[in-house]
Amino acid sequence: MSHSSQEKPSRSIAEWTTFGIASTILGAIAGLVIYAWTTEQDRPPVLTLERREQIREAQGQFYVPFVVKNTGGETVESVQVVAELRVNGQVEESGDQQIDFLSDGETEEGAFVFRRNPRRGELTVRVASYRLP
Amino acid sequence: MKKGLAEQWRTELKDLLRGASGGFLFGVPLLYTMEVWWIGSFVGPVRMLLALVLTFAIIFFLNQTAGFRRDSAVHTTDALIDSVEAIAIGIVCAGFILILLQEITLQTPLHEALGKLIYEGMPFSLGVALANQFLRGDEGRFDQQSDSSQSKQLSATLSDISATLIGATIIAFNIAPTDEIPMLAAAVSGLSLLSMMIASLLISYCIVFASGFTHYQQRQQQRGIFQRPLSETIASYLVSLIAATVMLLFFQKLEFSDPWQVWLNYSILLGLPATVGGAAGRLAI
Repeated sequence: MSHSSQEKPSRSIAEWTTFGIASTILGAIAGLVIYAWTTEQDRPPVLTLERREQIREAQGQFYVPFVVKNTGGETVESVQVVAELRVNGQVEESGDQQIDFLSDGETEEGAFVFRRNPRRGELTVRVASYRLP
Repeated sequence: MKKGLAEQWRTELKDLLRGASGGFLFGVPLLYTMEVWWIGSFVGPVRMLLALVLTFAIIFFLNQTAGFRRDSAVHTTDALIDSVEAIAIGIVCAGFILILLQEITLQTPLHEALGKLIYEGMPFSLGVALANQFLRGDEGRFDQQSDSSQSKQLSATLSDISATLIGATIIAFNIAPTDEIPMLAAAVSGLSLLSMMIASLLISYCIVFASGFTHYQQRQQQRGIFQRPLSETIASYLVSLIAATVMLLFFQKLEFSDPWQVWLNYSILLGLPATVGGAAGRLAI
């Protein structure tokens, strides 16, 4: 299909060099995939939720930051995080949110916003559910 | 015909740039598709390997006819070697843009980064292998018209602007109504926006001038208002940015009440694929 289909000499040094670099890149990628394959165990997802930061107050609202991490082996979808604030045993405020994807080792951060001070009640933030893709 | 070493490297660089340009033309629209990022993050290693093998097979097939090199491969071994290079170019280019878009960061788990790289690299590699096919160099044609009367210059400038506008609009039209731009904008920083601008200019320059696609020698000879490589690249980037902004307004992703930072972020983010479209448009005329 070429317009210059003249007799092509053997590959030049430049062409061999790029081929060398290209095959290294490709080899590295394939090697990493195989590495991921061999280290992949049939571990079910394990979702942990942490509240590392302090509750922050701004303009009459209380922000409760959280970090959710998947320490298991499988990727999960639609992770639902729920938060409830109970005062005197009654749920006063609640919130929930969804995280699209959480692959193994990945962390996502977010925050819940309350109108009441969570320190004056009993606050629970937990992962409620997920789906397997 | 033994070529000098410098000459060899120049040819090689041009071939590589041509390949990369083809990759960008073909691959950039898919880079702005979050479903492809997601499939990359949950797909298993076996499927990744299969995807690599499948891409390799298709590209090997393409390389026997099209390819990205000036002297295109005819022998099977040449096609095999070129296929390895095409995939490597594709993966490197896709990786570069994924890092720019902060879809791959230091925090990204290895397995997810690999999936994204391989799945986004696929269309890029196809573009590399198709580089000669869909935009073939036509060097024999450039000396047809080199008179530079005032009206010729003006009409050349106008046709360049409109070609950029059409190309940029076609690509921006495809991406603007989707949710990717707001999503990407949420994670963007000042430094990454600046790098996006530089990348847009570089890619556009490479596609039109450095890669030796159609008419490029003619382009470098013309002395219109818009014809010097540097000014043409900058001017067409601005045109593409405008096309991107108009498309975002058209699909109501931007409102007049939005703060100017949002306008800036969105336009620069959509400006990258729009510029690639604009460059393709200028090559097509």
